[in-house]
Amino acid sequence: MLTGSIAALFALLLAVLAVLVPLILIASRAESARRLAVALILIASFAGCVVAVSSFLRQPGPVLDLSRATPFPFSFAVDRLSAFFLLLVCSVAIPVTLFGASYFDLHYSEQRRNWTWAFLSLFLSSMIAVVTASTGFAFLAGWELMALVSAGLILIEGDSTERRHNVFIYLLMMHVGAAAVAACFFLFLPYSHGLDFRAIRAAGAIVPPGIRTAVFLFAFAGFGAKAGLIPLHLWLPRAHPIAPSPVSALMSGIMLKTAVYGFVRFAFDFLGGGPWWSGYAVLLVAAVTGLLGILYAIAENDLKRLLAYSSVENLGIIFLGLGTSLVFLAHHAPLGAALALVAALLHAFNHALFKSLLFLGAGAISNSTHSVDLNELGGLQRRMPLTGAAILVGCCSIAGLPLFNGFVSEWLTFRSFLAGSTLIDTKAQIVLPLMVGILALIGGLTAACFVKTFGVAFLGRPRSAGAEDAREVPLGMRAGLCLLAAGCVLIGIVPGLLLRPLVPLAQVLITGAGVPSETLSIARITPWTAAIVLGTSALVVLFKRRERMARTWACGLPELSSRMQYTSTVFSKPIRFVFARVYRPDRKVEQVPADQPYFPVSISYRSVRTTSYERALYRPFVDLIVSLALRLRRLQTGNIQVYLLYIFLALVSLLTFLRFQR
Amino acid sequence: MKITIDILQVLILIMAAPLVRGVIARLKARLQRRRGASVWRPYAELFKLLRKEELVPPTSSAVFRLAPVVLFGATICAAAFVPVMHASSLLGSQGDFFMLVYMLALGRFFLSLGALDGGSAFGGMGASREALVSSLAEAPFLLGLVALAVLAARADIAGMVAWTLGQNIFNISAVHILAFTSLAMVTLAETGRMPVDNPTTHLELTMIHEGMVLEYSGPSLALIEWASAIKLHAMLALLIALFCPWGMAASGSGWGMAAALLLYCAKIAVLAILLSVIESAVAKLRMYLVPDFLGVASAVSALAVIFTMWVKR
Repeated sequence: MLTGSIAALFALLLAVLAVLVPLILIASRAESARRLAVALILIASFAGCVVAVSSFLRQPGPVLDLSRATPFPFSFAVDRLSAFFLLLVCSVAIPVTLFGASYFDLHYSEQRRNWTWAFLSLFLSSMIAVVTASTGFAFLAGWELMALVSAGLILIEGDSTERRHNVFIYLLMMHVGAAAVAACFFLFLPYSHGLDFRAIRAAGAIVPPGIRTAVFLFAFAGFGAKAGLIPLHLWLPRAHPIAPSPVSALMSGIMLKTAVYGFVRFAFDFLGGGPWWSGYAVLLVAAVTGLLGILYAIAENDLKRLLAYSSVENLGIIFLGLGTSLVFLAHHAPLGAALALVAALLHAFNHALFKSLLFLGAGAISNSTHSVDLNELGGLQRRMPLTGAAILVGCCSIAGLPLFNGFVSEWLTFRSFLAGSTLIDTKAQIVLPLMVGILALIGGLTAACFVKTFGVAFLGRPRSAGAEDAREVPLGMRAGLCLLAAGCVLIGIVPGLLLRPLVPLAQVLITGAGVPSETLSIARITPWTAAIVLGTSALVVLFKRRERMARTWACGLPELSSRMQYTSTVFSKPIRFVFARVYRPDRKVEQVPADQPYFPVSISYRSVRTTSYERALYRPFVDLIVSLALRLRRLQTGNIQVYLLYIFLALVSLLTFLRFQR
Repeated sequence: MKITIDILQVLILIMAAPLVRGVIARLKARLQRRRGASVWRPYAELFKLLRKEELVPPTSSAVFRLAPVVLFGATICAAAFVPVMHASSLLGSQGDFFMLVYMLALGRFFLSLGALDGGSAFGGMGASREALVSSLAEAPFLLGLVALAVLAARADIAGMVAWTLGQNIFNISAVHILAFTSLAMVTLAETGRMPVDNPTTHLELTMIHEGMVLEYSGPSLALIEWASAIKLHAMLALLIALFCPWGMAASGSGWGMAAALLLYCAKIAVLAILLSVIESAVAKLRMYLVPDFLGVASAVSALAVIFTMWVKR
């Protein structure tokens, strides 16, 4: 009975998001229609949370079979892994929708607003479809829809040449990735009855090792492209910043997680672990991704690009956990594998919360100041205190500080590295504990990056007129921000809420795993540490003190100006200097007039990070494709006789082929 | 009984922290042939600051006032992980060293924010430099601790100390030497001592920590100074607990505890002498040599982790 109603609810929410809401918005331009649509999206997202929680508790979850209505086997089912990601999608969708409801109203004309909401609803339904699909076709359809709709959402914002170029790169890389994902499915075909997930899972045990390796590599490349793992990250810092902020929040917060879902589905659920070196390969790529991601993020001054690069870094951390889990699996240590997998999945959830919080925060900032350039912000905390507090929570969470959710998942990842020292294998014993150093460096740099972000944007003096006149954002935006911030703090202090369901999920994916004791101990200790820190702080605050406003000493000048403050550029200078080999900056100093070096009228200075290795990696491919295309162009002469010749030749060759085939 | 001693340990770390600072300052003065101030002077300074009124820049926000408070709370929480008199501490058996390190990071994060909120150039300068030093110090800090945790096959600090207590004092391995070297270097960097940062100057070319606290006054400054004293004391106590815990009380008897406390004081005194000799003998590193210093610490700690392979069996 209950399962039936949950299945009905699930079918209903997919129908509402994918069909009803877009139809309403296309049919009617009325204000009330849009209100109705937004309310429907909110209700559907909430229903999605209900479906996720109830099907997590009661397995098997709801199944929705549309195979009769479609030419392909097309069905959805919510098993535990799907339920977890469904919860992730829907619980982040609620605050983002709340935020968007007031954000789009302020920024978009009526027509664009309707299109945006229609696409947003489709985008959500495509992501739900991806994480709940139970056949290859359903998965690939959702996967394709997701890429196309998000590209549409970026183009609604505007269509300059540069934007089109970025969207082109985005779509190109998404389709290369989608091809790899499709290849993963089709490689299973000779060994399974169809592309039903159950059949694939059964086939996973019997495929020959060569095919297993191929499937693993294709899955890693295909989902890695979606996750933005370096060197396949090229599209991410181009596509995410140019989308409207709520859409960036969805893309960074949720869409990247569908790649994590896909990789876990293939590598753990279908294959049950890759070849012995797979874990090390994932660790290597993830470590490079994490380090370069955060180093690029630190050097950015555009808030949204900074956040996009930091998404690259966080996906690196998630894949560090997944790689560790694969290493443990290869050495038949299910307990450690479960611990690392729990860490990775929890970090995926945490990243969804704090990254969408920060992207929404960027939206709030651009709403109030009309800029996301950190060097034009400053002093916003006094002008928009609630937004500032929420973003501070996001910054603390992403920096992995205790009392916030990012810490819990990073701590679990650290502990899974440490547990690597108990493996019998020498490689693992050395590599895994050393990864602690890599993650610690990433963590330290992340803290530096977000001190810069919050400190420069929200503290000190305003650096532009826009920041000077900033006002607090409307209620809907604040509600979205505060919901997400509350989630970050809640998971940070009571991580047991998510860890308790995550452990059985890991046990489903990794046979023979017990309960990792680390997941219990972190859940026990965090409330105590929170109590000590907050208790001492409260005691100190109660201590009465007298205060007086006094201007900061200006070294004898009449008054400090905002130009004397450290900017975002100069804050990151020491780190950019130390890691200059990574950035390979291209500096240019121009003096006017050039022939009078001692009496310049103006001096301009520019320093751009060169992307030398990106060029070295991609240029040969691009050149090859372009030269092939140029050569093929010779076929198109425009002469009708030549085309007739082509047709004739094709006909003759087909006939010959048919004649000799039998 | 155990919980009383655990709380007592935290109180010792908090209350004796200014004294440790005073002793080091005094020793340095003697080494430089000055008479130096009384070892109790840091207490007098704290009292003075706590009674004063506080000056707040008009452009600053709530973060400016919140930062010292969070720093203080987080530092005390970090101190609650460190054993002093027996192989256990308030949080040491439940929590592990990752938490301790990240608690210190929490305090530092907020202090840097407070520095940026002052709106002057010095705060930003200090925060930016602190960001560089601390982000590079985190890896050797954790790797050094990981090496010991791998040897002890435990991650909780109490368990690691208990394991070391069970070892023979002459059974020191290469791992211990390497880990101690890296952790000692990290301690210098983390607590802003001499080759990395100069705690006694306010010269903008060199300062890191002092730059960050320049806009603070009154009780807030007292909290910051006290917190950094606690941090120094806790780091020294951590080094003692991890590398030379012998003499810690095994049972909860009063005499045993008193003896353990006396021995602890002697060990801290040795470390204080070492620190003051280093600080008097070494010149401050140029800002951009600090990454090399921490790079050496990272390499040494990575070696320590690799060497655990051969020492473990």
